[in-house]
Amino acid sequence: MKNSYFPGCNLKTEAKGFEQSAIAVSKELDAELVEMPEWNCCGTVQTMTTDNLMRRIAPVRVLSRASKHVKELEGSPNQVTTLCSMCNSTLKIVNAEVKENPNDLEKINFQLENDDLVYEGDMEVKHFLEILRDNVGYENIAKKVTNPLEGMKIASYYGCMLLHPEKAKIDDEEMPTVMESIALSLGAEVVDWPYFKQCCGSYHIVDRDDIVNSQVVKIIRNAKKTGANALIVACPLCAYNLDNQQVELEKLGVEKDPIPIFYFTQLMAIAMGLPQKVNHFEDHHINPKTLLKELGLLGKKK
Amino acid sequence: MAKTKSKTKAENQTQMVKIYIMGSMYEVPSSLTIMKAIEYAGFKLTRGSGCRAGFCGACATVYRKEGDFRIYTALACQTQVEEGMYLTQMPFVPANKAKYDIDTLDPIASTILRYYPEVARCLSCNACSRVCPQEIQVMDYVQHCLHGEIDKAAAVSFDCVQCGLCAIRCPAEIPQYHVATLVRRLHGKYNMKPPETLEKRVREIEDGVFEEGFKELMSLPEDKLRHKYYHERDFVDQKKA
Amino acid sequence: MSYDYIEFGESEKEFTSKIEEISGQNIFSCYQCGKCSAGCAFSNLMEKTINHTMQLVQLGKKEKVLQSNTHWVCASCLTCTVRCPREIDVAAVMEAIREYTLRYEPETIERLDLPEELLKKIPNIALVGSFRKKSEL
Repeated sequence: MKNSYFPGCNLKTEAKGFEQSAIAVSKELDAELVEMPEWNCCGTVQTMTTDNLMRRIAPVRVLSRASKHVKELEGSPNQVTTLCSMCNSTLKIVNAEVKENPNDLEKINFQLENDDLVYEGDMEVKHFLEILRDNVGYENIAKKVTNPLEGMKIASYYGCMLLHPEKAKIDDEEMPTVMESIALSLGAEVVDWPYFKQCCGSYHIVDRDDIVNSQVVKIIRNAKKTGANALIVACPLCAYNLDNQQVELEKLGVEKDPIPIFYFTQLMAIAMGLPQKVNHFEDHHINPKTLLKELGLLGKKK
Repeated sequence: MAKTKSKTKAENQTQMVKIYIMGSMYEVPSSLTIMKAIEYAGFKLTRGSGCRAGFCGACATVYRKEGDFRIYTALACQTQVEEGMYLTQMPFVPANKAKYDIDTLDPIASTILRYYPEVARCLSCNACSRVCPQEIQVMDYVQHCLHGEIDKAAAVSFDCVQCGLCAIRCPAEIPQYHVATLVRRLHGKYNMKPPETLEKRVREIEDGVFEEGFKELMSLPEDKLRHKYYHERDFVDQKKA
Repeated sequence: MSYDYIEFGESEKEFTSKIEEISGQNIFSCYQCGKCSAGCAFSNLMEKTINHTMQLVQLGKKEKVLQSNTHWVCASCLTCTVRCPREIDVAAVMEAIREYTLRYEPETIERLDLPEELLKKIPNIALVGSFRKKSEL
């Protein structure tokens, strides 16, 4: 099966390892992610105002471009797949909003009309995690594992955008299991921890890094307390905040012994013995190779 | 133009159209470009006109048409007048241009955001692409910048004449045409192969290959110099070449 | 002994209804249970708790609401929204207060001062988000 894939800006810049490992994994699992030929910023973070249609143009434009793309893909359902959880949430929310309010959709379509685009309200938005759970299945992931992640104790960090709000959630908002199930099928251990969706501070990193730091300390300390030696995430902004700010906190003398942050697809690539280069570990601030070497998980091929 | 002698006659023969310049009505021949029509109406253009050939981007025009709510844009030297145009000129668009040392940069998205952070405000409304008289997909190249696809952004923005209409229309207040300049410079400096012939010629100049020839030229009297310039020079026949 | 009367005149009413209009929420639905403040990851950094802010919006106390940093500290994680027993989109109310400032009193916002060093390494998703929430467009 082929999936129309919307990357979002960060997957091309800071989170190359997320995108490339996900594409490699998707090919292994026969759920290939095929990038849309033309796409624009999803318009994150979604506006919660009732009247600001301007900020809903970008996501609707993405949806209309995706609906063009799925027609070119053979056997693809009317859906667009995302990796970044902020893109996922923005697109899902706006998709639901315009389906509920045909008048708004008409106004936005009027803005797209000059660009030969129109959105009929016929698309669904899926996160890659949903594809893995619903279309691929955990047992099929487990079948592809050649290099089980023995010794990894993983804390699954969902962040807020995968589970909030009702319109956009991919799993139960107080008791999600999808990331844990994937980690288990890769042969890793998972920890049960309460901070799985504690907000990382999000865009405050730009001008209020104190807010982000106070969150990162709470999250990381709790993860360590439960014995986790790694965190998995599905959002480039969570990844940056948790990764980079741990280094900053160490410099400030607040918290020692940082633990590595992985995108869930990177661990899948390792467990499936895919080539190392898709993971782009050089972009990480805390070197994940140290842990992988310690556990003897590095460099094994399928 | 020999128009002055038989003006009334010419006017009788030529189809005339009504246009409005800054709110006042003028009748002008329908065959004129907007720029010539403005001059025909008696205005003297001191700014807002340059090459008169569609390359310099100085003559950006904004207009509406009677009974049509849309705003249209064009280069005045490239567009014929139409009945009922409400015109105004945009000789200059204020926009901040970043200062940078191109030798110290990397061709990645964060370089662009460092000098033009407002790129991140893009709403993908596409107003910029719609007003571009060069028909560039401006929004697409702004998005390519955000994604760090410098090569694509440089290619898409290549035909820009810096008229600034995109920047004046942008609700996110991005100076797209300056961003495009940075992008093309980055692309030229870091992604493209340096042209061999240019490097070779620079080396020849530095090695003094042309010193003798220059000295000889400099010592010639004016009449001989004229003769050389007008009669002995090799002219390349453009059609054959 | 003196009393402070609760005033709810034209200007109070105007502020409350503007917030209701922008957010699309019924502010008066809030019954002050405090679940929003209890669940908020940032309560300790806010000058006023969320439920307090909600009450001030109900009362139309524009100055008090806008003076507080509560709505600027909010990171739109929507925990309050999913937990509200009255099904108010509380995060949308915070967004409406931000929008109110951006639309009607933009001169009161401190412009984002972004040093070059930061812009060099910050992921663009953070910049996009920050501009959308904190700059007038």
